[in-house]
Amino acid sequence: MVDFTLNGRPVSLDGLDDKPLLWVLREDLGTLGPKYGCGVAQCGACRVLIDGQSTPSCVTLAGSLQGAEIVTVEGLADPEGRLSYLQQAWLDEQVPQCGFCQPGFLIAATDLLSRNPSPTDDEIDEAITNICRCGTYPRIRRAIHRAAAARPVA
Amino acid sequence: MPLITRRGFLITGSALAGTALVAAIGGVGFLATVDVEGLHGGAVDGEDAKLNAFVMLRNDGHVVINVPRTEMGQGIHTGLAMLVAEELDIPFDERIEVVFPTEAHPSYSTWSNVLQVRPEEASGPVAWIGRRVLGQMGFIATGASGSTMGLWHPMRVAGAAARQMLVAAAAARLGVPASELTTAEGLVHHEPTGRRIAYAELAAAAALLPPPDAPTLKPRSAWGLIGRSQRRVDLPAKVRGEPVFGMDVVLPDMLHATIRHAPVFGAGVAAIRNEAALRAEPGVVDVAIIDGRHVAILAQSWWQAERAAWRLDVEWTPTEADGENSAALAARLEAALGSEAPHGHIDDGDVEAALAAPGARLVEADYGVPFVTHACMEPMNATAILNEDGSAEIWAPTQNRVTMQAGVGRGMGWADARPGEVTLHVTMNGGAFGRRSDQDVIAEAAYLAARHRGRAVKVMWSREEDIGRGLYRSQAAGRLRAALGTDGLPLAYDARVAAQSILNAMGSRNMPFTPGPDGDYLTVEGLDKLHYSIPNRRMRSQHVPTHVPIHFWRSNGFSFNTFFSESFIDECALAAGADPLEYRRRLLVDSPRHLAVLERVAEMAGWGRPLAPGRGRGIAIEECYRSIVAQVAEVSVAEDGELTVDRVFCAIDVGTVINPDAVVAQMEGGIIFGVTSALMSTITIQDGAVRQSNFHDYPMQRMANAPAIEVAIMQSDLPPGGAGEPGIVPVAAAIANAIHAATGRRLRTLPLATTETTGVRRVRTLLATQA
Ligand code: FES
Ligand code: FES
Repeated sequence: MVDFTLNGRPVSLDGLDDKPLLWVLREDLGTLGPKYGCGVAQCGACRVLIDGQSTPSCVTLAGSLQGAEIVTVEGLADPEGRLSYLQQAWLDEQVPQCGFCQPGFLIAATDLLSRNPSPTDDEIDEAITNICRCGTYPRIRRAIHRAAAARPVA
Repeated sequence: MPLITRRGFLITGSALAGTALVAAIGGVGFLATVDVEGLHGGAVDGEDAKLNAFVMLRNDGHVVINVPRTEMGQGIHTGLAMLVAEELDIPFDERIEVVFPTEAHPSYSTWSNVLQVRPEEASGPVAWIGRRVLGQMGFIATGASGSTMGLWHPMRVAGAAARQMLVAAAAARLGVPASELTTAEGLVHHEPTGRRIAYAELAAAAALLPPPDAPTLKPRSAWGLIGRSQRRVDLPAKVRGEPVFGMDVVLPDMLHATIRHAPVFGAGVAAIRNEAALRAEPGVVDVAIIDGRHVAILAQSWWQAERAAWRLDVEWTPTEADGENSAALAARLEAALGSEAPHGHIDDGDVEAALAAPGARLVEADYGVPFVTHACMEPMNATAILNEDGSAEIWAPTQNRVTMQAGVGRGMGWADARPGEVTLHVTMNGGAFGRRSDQDVIAEAAYLAARHRGRAVKVMWSREEDIGRGLYRSQAAGRLRAALGTDGLPLAYDARVAAQSILNAMGSRNMPFTPGPDGDYLTVEGLDKLHYSIPNRRMRSQHVPTHVPIHFWRSNGFSFNTFFSESFIDECALAAGADPLEYRRRLLVDSPRHLAVLERVAEMAGWGRPLAPGRGRGIAIEECYRSIVAQVAEVSVAEDGELTVDRVFCAIDVGTVINPDAVVAQMEGGIIFGVTSALMSTITIQDGAVRQSNFHDYPMQRMANAPAIEVAIMQSDLPPGGAGEPGIVPVAAAIANAIHAATGRRLRTLPLATTETTGVRRVRTLLATQA
């Protein structure tokens, strides 16, 4: 038995300890934002925030998540549905092409900006290791800079 | 209520013939440039008024635009909807809903792309056959950078016709002549009295009016949308993680399947050694052999199926290809280059005489590329159900409705099931790049659905199946020769390519007929039309079959032939002691459109400005998909051999541009796709099987090594060309030419680098050592 929160809602799982979180999310919890792209922590399409940290959910067993706070792309907007600064920047820069990889990039970039409100290009290169086969990298970079500039300093 | 009335498309032959006959007798105007057939709407379905096959107005002010082309990232749903919105005079905002129609209306057909004509320019028997035969077949495909070209005219006509019907309805309502009415922002306006009526109020009456015979299109000067970047209609959902890709289709009580294909292409299943044990695995419902060739494991969840598949123990049948390897396959290409290549494509002047002329300076070089694969971000998948009443339904990310339909028939046929009415749903595609025009995964899903009648089955391949047991761009080799005259320019140009025929391979898997290799324009494109003025020219090709299944791959023949030809022209320039830009200028004096693109990119890149040691610039240009694209790559080669592509400049003449920002995005994405294959991609064959399996050994460009990119779009009044593929086409040659400029070394084989893993999800590229 594992209890965690998913996008703010409490979840209890039974008998799924050795199932990767990605498949628990997609098959058992109907959360389809995180995608399967490789299954081996290479592509990042499955990334979710676990206690604020961007993590490939395809290699994270559900059994290890007792008490964790999990946020997927569906949880980035606020409860009223308003986009996060990052999602808004993503729209303003017209980032996605096919869009399949984008949930993972949005999660990775959310994590980056929470640790580093104003990353340099090198820091972006260091932190964002996902794959986008459509080649949206130039726009992702611009969107991260735009979001960093738009976010009010706390 | 569904957005559009769901009508299944009948697959049975007799029904098809019947429809075609009725349409052929009853249809009028099909020889005209406007396919008026697509304009007959005349339907009011509840609150929706269907004005024609492309436009439906809802009474809440929303406008549904049917875009019968697959959205796979290229932004086609936005660009084509803009055409309707332009002519219909509606604001381009969230009230526009773009739908891929389930119905296969003949006016949605891709006939004009197949026949390589623009619909507005086509006439006579060719156009008639295209419209009648391909139209009635539901031949709807997305590819060959052809969607904008094919629907540029029809969709504007659809918007203009709908607008005229709304105006006519308003004229009747107000009792004024239509000539006194104007339209803007979704309203009809009667200037003299100041009265305005919203389209939504007129829609039901307008839908019942006859469509105009020849709707008038706006002149270019009146365009408000075309040519101005609009935000893509699919992106708000995409930043929320909401779109439904094929992988996200969920149906009640659905079974999940994973597939294992034979490691050696062409092998079959001799025996499953541990079937009983697999069936006892948690959640496993069935273990099936598909068409004697593949093994499917079905379970309650995909994870359970896949985990069981890891333990699968299959004995595959031996094949003649069990001993094949990349070196042997490459040697076969080499041998083919030396033989008399049988298929002639160009024969202008006397190449032999010019090559043998005394004093001619000969330049000669061989080039090669390996097999590569698509690696779409969304692995291959399809979901199917065969209902108890014999009807079937399928959901898949696909580029091709016809192969989808054929795949359903084939797969269900393997289970001796003949579905009645089949409804096809095209989902969002997580990348496609030509890959999703094959029926393979669709037939697998259809077979398993027929085997489990009454239950939906979703088939999804693992990434390992996608990369290691999938479909590939052919390996290819080219041999180019030129004789330079006293001015250094080529007097003769002789090109040969040896590769596996793309159309032949694709056709034999998916079509009722197989085009012969001599007719395969896809394998020779990039060499069979020379935009440089050279008096004596010859081009030959040789089809070299292998056991590796070849398929469309973003930019097809251009992906290798332009690497060959644009590397070679650089070699000619250097042999002549000329600057590569200046040399191309001289060869393009008679092609002002090409020349303008070339000048533009050279200016953007600051061609001729000195660079630091170890850095170099290379240029390349190509005409493809009725567009002209030129690029300059700037590379650095470090002391230790590390190769980086720092910047790529790109100028494109794509004719009339509809959504400029989408064209820029396609260039950016195409360049990164092209840099990946130029530097990193190789599929190697060992013991008949592909060695690569996932992104650790089939690496991709990532953020850290993606080049900076600058794109310029040329101003043009010509009708639109294609934009989905041109971005890739010149980049490999531009990089190879830049490497030569930086190091003096000429690399003639892709990939141009080897990759070295430097950390988790980190690689660097080192200049390849080539003979
Ligand atoms: S699916 Fe998890 S990293 Fe690719
Ligand atoms: S947008 Fe298609 S893979 Fe990234």
